[in-house]
Amino acid sequence: MSVAVKLVPVQEAYDDLLNRTLSRISCELGRLIYLASTRDYNTGNYYHEGLASRFSPEVARKALEIAHRQAFYKVSSFPLEVLASNLEVYLRSSRENPQEFLHTWQRLEPYRVTIPTEVNLTVARLFTSNLRLSLAILRFRQEQGH
Amino acid sequence: MRLPGEGGALVIGTSSALIGAVVFLVLILVWIRADSTSRHLPSVLDTWLPDQDDAAEVCPPEFVAQIFSGQDLAFISRLESPDLKRHFLRERNAVALFWVQQTSAVIRRIMRRHLEASRLSADIEFAMEARIFLQYAKLKLLCAVLFLLIGLAGPQKLNAIALYADRLTQRIGNVLREFESGVRTREMDGA
Repeated sequence: MSVAVKLVPVQEAYDDLLNRTLSRISCELGRLIYLASTRDYNTGNYYHEGLASRFSPEVARKALEIAHRQAFYKVSSFPLEVLASNLEVYLRSSRENPQEFLHTWQRLEPYRVTIPTEVNLTVARLFTSNLRLSLAILRFRQEQGH
Repeated sequence: MRLPGEGGALVIGTSSALIGAVVFLVLILVWIRADSTSRHLPSVLDTWLPDQDDAAEVCPPEFVAQIFSGQDLAFISRLESPDLKRHFLRERNAVALFWVQQTSAVIRRIMRRHLEASRLSADIEFAMEARIFLQYAKLKLLCAVLFLLIGLAGPQKLNAIALYADRLTQRIGNVLREFESGVRTREMDGA
């Protein structure tokens, strides 16, 4: 079987994921966090029940892996202003107490687990640095009473 | 009162030596500061280590442009918070220094692989080897200059040098890829 034939279902699964699930999430950062949550912490494999049943676990795994990496590079390429806005949208959508949310994120840095494997280390570092800064910006705005 | 010729030359010589020593000391201090900034800031490497060989590839150019661009600094400046600005400069300097270290490591690895391939190759072109070595030396020098200047001037003022270094890295990578594929083709033809 040729590589092209194998890639067709992955593309279909990817489109399906985009249209049915990711399009319902309000911001890119939220999409990244969602995609990272489909990865098993112990094995590093991705799993999505609906996608696996419509296609196959292997095809779903590959589609999720590609979507995760793409979402990561997209969020990492955001200027600080856009990333801070994205974080604000995500914070609002979480319906948590904003102060508590910011404090916990600054202390635990949970966004570190959203970094896919096999990405460029400098981009990964830029991503964590920009998120630290975005959290500081939101905290500053909160203190200023915005 | 004028100093006699020999004494004057001695004073000038001593002053130059002193200035040279001070400049040298400042450069060493800047280097140490830059090195400690890049070592001590929280890093993804501290907590999360993917496969080094796979992950240490050349950083995509759009991210190099982003690290060294002034856009984010302009945004932070508009917020008018000195603390935030300090935080931003510290963070961005660390990322820029990390990129310099990664670039340096990547070209070192590429060159090592090239030397190994050259040793096995029967027909080596001297001109080509000299060109590759010169580009490698130029890039190493640029990395050293960037490493020193990031702490002094900030990444935003070094945009042009960083982008040039990035282009050079990509070019060396391409030349060596072509070289390696040429060696493989010749080996296959010879077999």
